[in-house]
Amino acid sequence: MAEPLALRVGDSAAGVPASQSGGASERQVIGSRIAVRDAEKRYGQFHAVNRINLDIEPGEFITLLGPSGSGKTTLLNLLAGFQSLDGGEILVDGRPVHNVPTHKRGFGMVFQSYALFPNMTVTQNVAFPLRMAGVDRATTERRVAETLEIMRLSDHANKSPSEMSGGQQQRVAIARAIVMRPKVVLMDEPLSALDRRLRESIQIEIRDLHQTIGSTILFVTHDQGEALTMSDRIAVLDAGRIVQIGRPLDIYRHPSNRFVASFVGESNLIEAEIMQKRGTTVTLKNRAGYVFDAESRDAIDVGRVTVLVRPERIAIANEPTASSTPVIVTSAIFLGEILRIEAQMEGGDTLLIRCTDTARRPLPDIGDRLHVSWGPEDCWVLT
Amino acid sequence: MTTISLSDEPRHQASSSLAMKLKNPALLLLPAVAFLSFIYLLPLLDLIRISISGPSWLTYFQRVFAVPLYWESLVRTMQISVTVAFLCLLFGYPTALLIHRTRGITHALIATAIVLPYFIAILIRTYAWMVLLGRNGPVNKFLVSIGILSEPVQLLFHRGTVLLGMTAVLLPLMVLTIYSSVSRLDPALTRAGLASGAGPLAIFWRVLLPLTLPGIGAGFLLVFVAAIGFFITPTLLGGPGDQMFAMHITQQADSVTSEGFLQALGVVLLLITLAVVAVAGRFLGLEFIWGGRKLTETAVTHVAPVAVSGTPSRSFGSKFADMIGWPLLRLFGMLPASCGTWTVRLMGGLVVAVLILPIIVVMIISFSSASYLTFPPPGFSLRWYEQFFSDSNWMRAFWTSALIATVSAIIAVGLGTCAALGIVRGNVRGKSAIMLLLVSPIIVPPVVLGLSLYTLFLKFDLVGSVFGLAAAHAIGGLPIVVVILSAALQGVDSRLEQAASVHGASSLTVLRLVTLPAIAPGLAAATFFAFLHSFDELVLTLFLSSAQLKTLPLMLWGDINYRLNPVLAVVSTLEVLLVVGGLFLARPVLATSQKAT
Repeated sequence: MAEPLALRVGDSAAGVPASQSGGASERQVIGSRIAVRDAEKRYGQFHAVNRINLDIEPGEFITLLGPSGSGKTTLLNLLAGFQSLDGGEILVDGRPVHNVPTHKRGFGMVFQSYALFPNMTVTQNVAFPLRMAGVDRATTERRVAETLEIMRLSDHANKSPSEMSGGQQQRVAIARAIVMRPKVVLMDEPLSALDRRLRESIQIEIRDLHQTIGSTILFVTHDQGEALTMSDRIAVLDAGRIVQIGRPLDIYRHPSNRFVASFVGESNLIEAEIMQKRGTTVTLKNRAGYVFDAESRDAIDVGRVTVLVRPERIAIANEPTASSTPVIVTSAIFLGEILRIEAQMEGGDTLLIRCTDTARRPLPDIGDRLHVSWGPEDCWVLT
Repeated sequence: MTTISLSDEPRHQASSSLAMKLKNPALLLLPAVAFLSFIYLLPLLDLIRISISGPSWLTYFQRVFAVPLYWESLVRTMQISVTVAFLCLLFGYPTALLIHRTRGITHALIATAIVLPYFIAILIRTYAWMVLLGRNGPVNKFLVSIGILSEPVQLLFHRGTVLLGMTAVLLPLMVLTIYSSVSRLDPALTRAGLASGAGPLAIFWRVLLPLTLPGIGAGFLLVFVAAIGFFITPTLLGGPGDQMFAMHITQQADSVTSEGFLQALGVVLLLITLAVVAVAGRFLGLEFIWGGRKLTETAVTHVAPVAVSGTPSRSFGSKFADMIGWPLLRLFGMLPASCGTWTVRLMGGLVVAVLILPIIVVMIISFSSASYLTFPPPGFSLRWYEQFFSDSNWMRAFWTSALIATVSAIIAVGLGTCAALGIVRGNVRGKSAIMLLLVSPIIVPPVVLGLSLYTLFLKFDLVGSVFGLAAAHAIGGLPIVVVILSAALQGVDSRLEQAASVHGASSLTVLRLVTLPAIAPGLAAATFFAFLHSFDELVLTLFLSSAQLKTLPLMLWGDINYRLNPVLAVVSTLEVLLVVGGLFLARPVLATSQKAT
């Protein structure tokens, strides 16, 4: 492994911005602060991006997560300058960028289709941004070699992209995006064309890289697992708006609405009626008449609510306990380290249950009766 | 996985017994190959035989190169062809980019503006330029009205008009060839370039241009080869000093005295064409002739040397790039990003105007009330339509053309469909050689083909016969049919056919119930274009027709040479309507075959 890239920032001849801090800290942050203010993009009547506000800290790894058509790629394109805003503004380090064409923004970008120039070798691809920036040949060669080494591509330097596997091509694309040590790196679903194993290993590679180079990274994906694994913060988008932004753990445990709850992770959404409220604890009753407690930060103390119970938070037992309710197993699948059980509550609600495989618990048969329960801390009341 | 990989195999290995051999779809190639051998290859070989039948085999050729008239004309032909090819490239490339970058209705309109002229007869498009540039034409009127000219001048009949006319006629070929290569590019490449800090010009120079070089090469050579054999446009638009080589052949053909020498002229033209195509095929793969996909490997290896950055050895080239190239590209990066966009729009817009305006002017003039060609017309009337439909000569020519075109389309589609089935579904060695034979009539100069057929037709007393002309026209119609139907057939999943035969359908039933319905739209388009090809054909007809058998283009040709009246505009308008109607019907097919090729 080469010495950390960021230590060499100072010798750039091309005016690549040096980091603000002195280099004494363990991680240098060279990234930009990005502020999106009331950003709007319309296609006729359709609001692809609908008055989005977003503040990104320097050096932050932020993921735009959402289903297709949610506006996440449009927002990325607006940042890159491929499309122009219909309203609002985008500030990079406090300066509006709407008049700066893409090639003057100095960002790095990784594309879903890799977008390597097929007429150039790996080296030539990675050298391209340096050449366009006017970096002299000797520096270029050294920087390309360093970057290739970091991406473990040194053996492939003179290959043409068409001779490489998808994973290798994507690492070349990443190398090309970071070789200038840009303040901002944009990644547009870079892993979606790769198979699962490769995807997971490159996820970790990108995470580590982010630690090393200290750029602000904007990562677009529709894969919630990817978003949870990699991000400092996740912005969940739906229909052109950011519906929730927060740390992965917050998004997963405390989703702000049904959409986020069901889009991020697997979830049981249980309709229930508030019976009583004491402090932050509410007592609820579902359709089947099962009465349980839940923590709630909201002020609501009467009426119907939706309660999120994650499948792995549900405890199962063969015999009834004081706080349990009976269910009938409708499907049981052995997934390896976990069991995935679907069961029907009285009243018809279906529960999804995930529990770790242990020697004590055999895989239940369809039609078996089980007893499930969860504690107040395992529930999250949605409004 | 195994079932899938196995499923293709049995068909290829099944041809063991005689019965199975007879069922090999490759046999379907025989009729087309036999047809072309007799009516196309044989006459060309005979042409060569006659050309070397002099006292010594070199005699006639020596004369070609000894007489300054011919030698100079050959040089002139080369000059004109290269110039036209460069002009087409210069204007065609931005136009192809423009088509690629526009979306929706604009895209459809621009694409139509390019495709429509492509299918209108060269004769008619040349006539439109004569109208446009004539003494009473709109260009003269416009220049006088804004005071540049004090009175109308002769804009026609010099080198400039020849270049303009030929460029306009050949531009669609260039645009469509380049577009098929541009449209295969990943749009993210441009964005990747921008994100890497490259300005539009740098991206064009470093990414777009190298990657579309094969398309550029193919377009350039196709235009060049077509231009070498050009005859109609230079004859009508050129002056005495603009004689092109093909024109000598037709002029000599009138005086029968020069047998042998005449053939030598044809052979020279043929050899130059073949040499250019062979050199081009060496680099591009001969598939470029019919717009097929080139092998990506060759494309990459030929393009790689262009990008010199990062090579370890500091050659002169890389030094040059360091000192001049990259700084220059960076400098152009300072230009506002809209510069490239506007260049593309302006040049593309100019091309669209040059292709469409003449046609529109001719259509308007056809409704003129004046008794001579003038634009804008003093008033509107249908008098010229009445004259056309009441003139028995015109009507007879029209029906003759329609009859010949119908017979020709039947021949071309019958042979071409079988051949396409054989090429795509058959298992035969030398497939690409056969494909090359089938599509090669596209590149042989029509003048040479006409000359060679004339000898054959004399021998079999076919001159001036409907069937003879139809067969001759089918030589050019066949490649069109084969290319369209091969693309259509490749689009049909061969597993559909296997599924049908597994469930008990015989080969013929499979063909009737699965294959033919699937390619029906392609078949319709192919029939239309084969019909149109024959309907528009002039050069072969000039050689092979008689005074009794006049086709519509032949009548037009005669009238253009003698009196330039608005009846010709009527015929042109009707032809445009025919093409528009045909294109409208064939639209879905063209879209799919574009993807398939």
